[in-house]
Formats: sequence, C-alpha cells, structure tokens
Amino acid sequence: MKKRWLVTSIFGLLIAASSAAQAIDESCTKPSAGNGQVAVVMAAIQDLEKTLSAEQRKSLERPFVRDSAIRWSNLPVGITPRMGLRLGDLDEKQNHAARGVAAAALSACGLELLDEIRIADDVLKAVDERKIGWDAGNYFMSVLGTPSESRPWMLQIGGHHLAYNFTFNGGREGATPLFFGTEPIRFSAAGIEYEPLVAQSAAMSNLAQALAKQPAAKLSGTFTDVVKGVVVIPVPGKMPTGGTDTGFPMSFPTGNSDRGILYGALSPAEQALARAAIESYASLPGAAITSPLVAAYESSAALAETYIGYAGQPDLSARGSYVRIDGPRIWMEFVVQPAVADNTRLHYHALWRDKQSDYGGEIGH
Amino acid sequence: MNSRAAWLLALLCVARCGPALAHSAPNSFVKLSFLAQSVRAEVLVPESELAYATAAERASEPFAAYLLRHLSAETPQGAAWKVDVRSFSHTTYLEHAYLSAQVEFTPPAGAPTGAFVLLDDAVTHEVRNHLVVVLARDAAKPALLGALQYPARRLTIQRPVQK
Repeated sequence: MKKRWLVTSIFGLLIAASSAAQAIDESCTKPSAGNGQVAVVMAAIQDLEKTLSAEQRKSLERPFVRDSAIRWSNLPVGITPRMGLRLGDLDEKQNHAARGVAAAALSACGLELLDEIRIADDVLKAVDERKIGWDAGNYFMSVLGTPSESRPWMLQIGGHHLAYNFTFNGGREGATPLFFGTEPIRFSAAGIEYEPLVAQSAAMSNLAQALAKQPAAKLSGTFTDVVKGVVVIPVPGKMPTGGTDTGFPMSFPTGNSDRGILYGALSPAEQALARAAIESYASLPGAAITSPLVAAYESSAALAETYIGYAGQPDLSARGSYVRIDGPRIWMEFVVQPAVADNTRLHYHALWRDKQSDYGGEIGH
Repeated sequence: MNSRAAWLLALLCVARCGPALAHSAPNSFVKLSFLAQSVRAEVLVPESELAYATAAERASEPFAAYLLRHLSAETPQGAAWKVDVRSFSHTTYLEHAYLSAQVEFTPPAGAPTGAFVLLDDAVTHEVRNHLVVVLARDAAKPALLGALQYPARRLTIQRPVQK
C-alpha cells in the first residue's frame, strides 16, 4: 500500500530531496484552506500579485478568451509550450504565495496530486537527459480575466501531466477540462514512495474488475490514449502544431450502443464502486467547485443514463487498458499507455470532461 | 520559462525530442493538393495504430489494397470518385514509423475538385482515440480542414479560399 504524503514545502522547494514531508490520512479528504470558494481564491491571487514584478504579473494575467483557455496539454512543455507564470522561476516568497492560490482552489487530494505529479517530472528529468521539458519547475499558473465574485474568470494550474482549469462564475459549474497523468506510475524520491494516481487507478480498476463478468460493459475497439484529449497536428519535417484543446467543443457518443453497461443494471455494490470512481476524480478541485457537479452526476436521473465501459485488462495491468464513465454530463476516462522514458513500463493518462460545462460554459467554437 | 524560451526549446526538440511525442498516440493525417482535374493526397498512417486496425480485421492484403477498402471520396450528392494509390513508402516522423501513400482522387466528369466528401476509417474503425487530421497543403499556410474520429468516417471538404 502506498504511503500518502503531504509535501509541505513551497513550490520551489517541493522536490523531495529538499522538502519536509508529513504523512496524512489515506483517504486524502482533509479540506484545504480555501476549498475552492471564489472569495478565498481571489484573496490568495491578490496576495500572490503583491509579490510579483510587473513582468511576472503580465505572465500571470491573460484575457479570458478561447485561445488562452484551451492552452492546456498532456505533452511536455518542449512540445507544447505553455503560457502563464512559471512556478520554477519564483522566489521563496512568491512560491509561498503561489502555493496559497493552489491551496485555496484545490482539495487536499488535488494539492497532493499537483505536488506528486511535479515530483514525477523531476524523476523523469533525472533518467532522461533529452531537453524536452521534464521539470517540476515547468508548471504554470494563469489567471484568465479579472477575478471577481460575480463575473466569469478562470484559474489554470498545469504543466506536462496536469491541467487544472477552473472557471468561476461561469454560466455553468467550471471544474473541467481536468487532465492528469503520471510517469512513472510508482517511484521513490528522497526515500519517499509515491504513486500519484493511486486513488483514481484503484477506483477505476475496482470498478472495471467488478463489471468484467458482464459482457455489456466491454467496449469494442482499442484505446491507445484518452479519446477526448488534446489534438496534435503532425507536420513531417517540422514541429507539430496544436497539442492543445483545439478540438473543443467535442461530440460525444449518443444512443445506447457500445457505451458500456448502464448504471441501473449494476448491483448496489457495483453502483457504489461507480460512485467512488466518480468521486476519485471529482475530489481534486475544492469542494465549492466540485460539489454541484457531483450532485448533478449522482442524481437519480443522471445515473439512470450513465454508462460504464472498459477495454483491455480490467485490473489496468497492461497497455490499452481503459475505463470510462459516460453520462448525460460526465465524461471520465482512464487509460494505460506505454511509458515514454522507458517503454517497457507503463504510464497513466486520465481525463475528466463535462459535456455541458467545460470552461464553465463560457467558451465556444 | 517565457514563451520565447519555450519556443526555442520547442525548436531544439525538432531534432531531439521525438520519443516525447510518443506521449501522444500518433494520429493519421491527409494532406490535400487541389488540382484542376483531381485532388492529390499524401496519406500518412502510423504503423503502430494501423497494426491494431489490421489485426482486428485479420487483414492480410497489401497496404494499398487495404487502404482502398477504407479510403474513398464522393461528391456531396454521393457519386463515387476514382481513387488510385500511386505509391507508398515507409517514413519516420519524430520516431514514429508511418506508411506514406500518394493517392489521387478523380471526380466524376463535370464535378468540381474543390468540394467533396472524404471517407476514411483505415485506423479509426478500431482505434477509438485515433484522429485523421485533414489539411490543405496548397494554401500559403497549411490549413486545417477538419478531423475524423470514431464513429465518424465522413468529412465534408471545401477547398480553402485562395488569398
């Protein structure tokens, strides 16, 4: 069983070699300071801005327009450059303030995921010398629009394997798109064991294994990545373009064919596993951001139209293993891919989209 | 890292960061050149993803024949275009192995070449996350015309306006 750790260092010092760490509870349900409440997030952003130079503030603050909002990716920054305030460039005081913003917006689980995914990037940097941007410092923070308690704006925190996109005061609830992944899956740094996606991989594999005996749960086809992720446009001889959410808004499966098994066809125990899987993703943003969405996803009407499907190995032990929750709004995917730094191993990608409220419903074509 | 530094890093990656793109499963792409009498296409299909698709069909025919079963074009009214796979070769793009096919689409007599429906499910009939990205390459800057992902296999093509 993985040990759960709360890395207490500020951003710039979070690398395990130089950070103090303290064990916290296994379930990772301890709320963070702000819990996603807009006023608390705004206050934390004001505290951060006070520590920044004019140039840094310019990096942090960008307009809330489509081109900025969709600029998240699952590729290293050497492939898809990010915009925003680079966390690796901050001094100690600025790092402390930036961490305050993350802590205000995220649950304890979400904050821990941010820490551990960044540490994983530094683990890759140590084993892969290519200049492709593996680096815990290559994570960025952006504020799109003007923080307000009434008008729409966004907070983005992300880098190679993480994209938090939170929209406040949007027409709809705004926790998504939320991409996360990890390579390596498990690792040790400075004597501490990490498994950043243990909660989500366990929840999804528990669900898939419980459903594997039901033919209706098996999805057709092969999955080599998440289905509704970023779009890379390859151009031989040149760098690809894109690698961001240029495909938004997306179409999703309709009807009842090849979407998996309906929630209503599951036993009470299996239904509990499905809700646990939903909550393993939804527990990452602060509760004020995510609670309305969980209520919507777990309403009787929504669950009656929610499908759960899997492909590959239900225990997620091999490449191509895939689990999906697909309802009237919810779209959660988990896929097992070959690792990149060592392709004999595996790595995870996971994606949470909301069919109605990605970007708070504020971004169009 | 500011955007300029990130771009310089990106340029450095052209030569050195191929395997990092394995982070994203490789997609197919179709680059179209609109001629007076036909449309020529460079069709690039990643071999790793193609292997899943041919295995699912237990297909054993040559690649050109396989491609002709999965790639076609028709007028907006449904009249079939003639499709020829003129040649193909193996190529590598950022360390992903691709099959590159030179394909010529010829419309029925009297039909324009600037508007048609492209049909392609060579990989997407099996690989659910796979995208077929379609570009026009005779524009001043390659223009994205659209993309196909399962279950879609038809894309309406409209030649970009020449400026």
